[in-house]
Amino acid sequence: MSSGRQYGLLFVLPAIIVLALLVVYPLAYTGLLSVTDDQGHYVGAANYAAVIGARVTTTAVWNTVYYVGASIVLQIVLGTLAGVLLNQRFRGRAFVRSLTVIPWVIPGIVAATTWAWMFHTEFGIINYMLASAHVIDAPVGWLTGRNTVMPALIAINAWKLFPFVAVMVLAGLQAVPNELYESARIDGAGFWQEVRHVMLPQLRPVLTAITLLLVIWGLNAITIIYTITRGGPANRTLITPIEIFRYAFEQFQFNQAAALSVLFFAVTVGFVAAYIKLFATTAEPGVR
Amino acid sequence: MSWQRNVVLAGATSLLITIAGSVAVAGEIVWWTPNWGEARAKELATKFEAGNPSITIKLEVTVANGLPAKVATALRSGSPPDLIEVQHGWVPEYAQAGLVLPLDDVLRDKDDYFPAALDYVTWNGKVWAIPYRIETHAVIYNKGAFKAAGLDPDKPPQTWSDLVAAAKKLTGKTADGKDQYGFAITGGGEFGNTIFRTLPFIWMNGGSIISDDMKKATVNQPAAVEAVKFYTDFLANKLSPPSTLQNDGIANRQLFIAGTVAMYQSGQFDIDSIRKGNPNIDIGVAMIPHPDGKETAAIVGGWSFVIPKDAKNPDETKKFIRFLAEPDNMGFFTDTFPARKSAMNLPRFQDPILANFKAMLPYGRKTPPAKNWQQITQAYFDGLQSIMLGDASPQEAMDAAAEQIAPLLH
Repeated sequence: MSSGRQYGLLFVLPAIIVLALLVVYPLAYTGLLSVTDDQGHYVGAANYAAVIGARVTTTAVWNTVYYVGASIVLQIVLGTLAGVLLNQRFRGRAFVRSLTVIPWVIPGIVAATTWAWMFHTEFGIINYMLASAHVIDAPVGWLTGRNTVMPALIAINAWKLFPFVAVMVLAGLQAVPNELYESARIDGAGFWQEVRHVMLPQLRPVLTAITLLLVIWGLNAITIIYTITRGGPANRTLITPIEIFRYAFEQFQFNQAAALSVLFFAVTVGFVAAYIKLFATTAEPGVR
Repeated sequence: MSWQRNVVLAGATSLLITIAGSVAVAGEIVWWTPNWGEARAKELATKFEAGNPSITIKLEVTVANGLPAKVATALRSGSPPDLIEVQHGWVPEYAQAGLVLPLDDVLRDKDDYFPAALDYVTWNGKVWAIPYRIETHAVIYNKGAFKAAGLDPDKPPQTWSDLVAAAKKLTGKTADGKDQYGFAITGGGEFGNTIFRTLPFIWMNGGSIISDDMKKATVNQPAAVEAVKFYTDFLANKLSPPSTLQNDGIANRQLFIAGTVAMYQSGQFDIDSIRKGNPNIDIGVAMIPHPDGKETAAIVGGWSFVIPKDAKNPDETKKFIRFLAEPDNMGFFTDTFPARKSAMNLPRFQDPILANFKAMLPYGRKTPPAKNWQQITQAYFDGLQSIMLGDASPQEAMDAAAEQIAPLLH
């Protein structure tokens, strides 16, 4: 038995080595970069002090919380709604189901560029339609206004990922046993009561997992914002991942970029750990 | 034990494949060239190969978007190409980090080069790149719009007050009821666009972003703030389109082609696109207006050849650069103007529309070779955007920028 186990370990060893090279090496190297200068000399916490001291870092943190938080709420609400609707029987359901997935399937950069043009003050179709319908008199600077730019980007982000939530919710609903609906109906429940007392409780483990995924993706996604505003105007849409990207690839301060990455990584891991502890452990399906 | 042998064998094979993949062929020059010059690059490579049968040239085409990051990554990767085309302004940074080879032994006829271009790529007494293309901005304007507004299309504005007066006359509804804006400034896109357009105004007003010794932020001094106010006022006074905060150079060109904009700053590379986009526009080119009694200014832009420190075939590449830097080849290859004065006599540079772009060249200056120039100009650009958003006055915004720039100077 024990020799079998040893063989097993040997067999997975190559995979573990590859994983270590792909995951551990970059992590360790980032850590090393974060405490050295561009000549490779040890500088202690100087890079950390520099990035924490920069005024934009604080701005970026609040923008990140706003962007990720609002996006997730919208994605979950819209996605769950769409998932519940797509679970109903109606004509052309298969067609509508595949249509819904489109935003998720389109490559992020394509979607972002298209939205950037649609939102453009001068050439954009959104202003054109609103002006034709006499909703607005003068073109609105969606991506240049201090109060409109972040909501516009959040809307784009929600549009991009709500289909994922919808698909997951739909899959989750397929697993709900019919007996639950039947007994609910016998008790005289209407559609919305079914949603509230049957579907949503059954969906809880699914939604818990999705939210976690959305948080992780949201914290790491820069495509939409970087393509459309690059963090501007005046850092109003600068989120931490874009700040890291700027340090590394616009300013070539790889060491400060590494320091900010390490901090960001620590916060993310902390958040995810807390989330799993709070929600995931109590979310055993079928147990209550 | 045969599985162990297999594992070792597989590992060794994959290692061999990896090594084989990264080993360069002797006598092969890998050349990263931007897409706009691809056809000309191919022609020159073929010509060179014909005279040097032992050397082959492998072209790898790059695009402008994200190129600085791509080059910086390649230079640090340990296996870069042999020859890269980069903008002059990027070179000091590479030289200071020891990422490229000095090219003093490649440079010939030093006096034939425009001094500003060589100045750019010189650091610590050595030349780190061979410039081949130089250019500056000028003001491109629509002669038809000038006539319609009662302005003389052959007498474009020369001073700042002329420019504002002309922009006011050119702003309003056109005969066919479309909105027209007099002078489009940039405020969005990649921030280099806006640095290129604003910094000359600061310079010609006697100001700067950082002091000449690169130790002090000077962007909040009166001369600089006045220029920043002059620039951003075009948006505040609605002489530049409402979309200014999302417009870069290309967006302004589109707006000019669409007839929404009557004047904007750009380089000669825009002329062809405008002619293709809207052949009805009668294009005028003016020197960039200056404050009363002062001289105009511009940033010298353009491209240079560098050889990465880790290049596999530096000797062959040096030979190839000498060939590319011959006046005829340089004059053929450049998109705008050549970096050598003797190449300027070629027929393609005698088009009258280029006259004022050429006239701007002597006023061209280089940007300071400060180590943190990107971060410095990012802070300055953030300040400009906050003025355009209406969040801060020019003085407040530049004070904030100076405060962020100070720790970046050491």
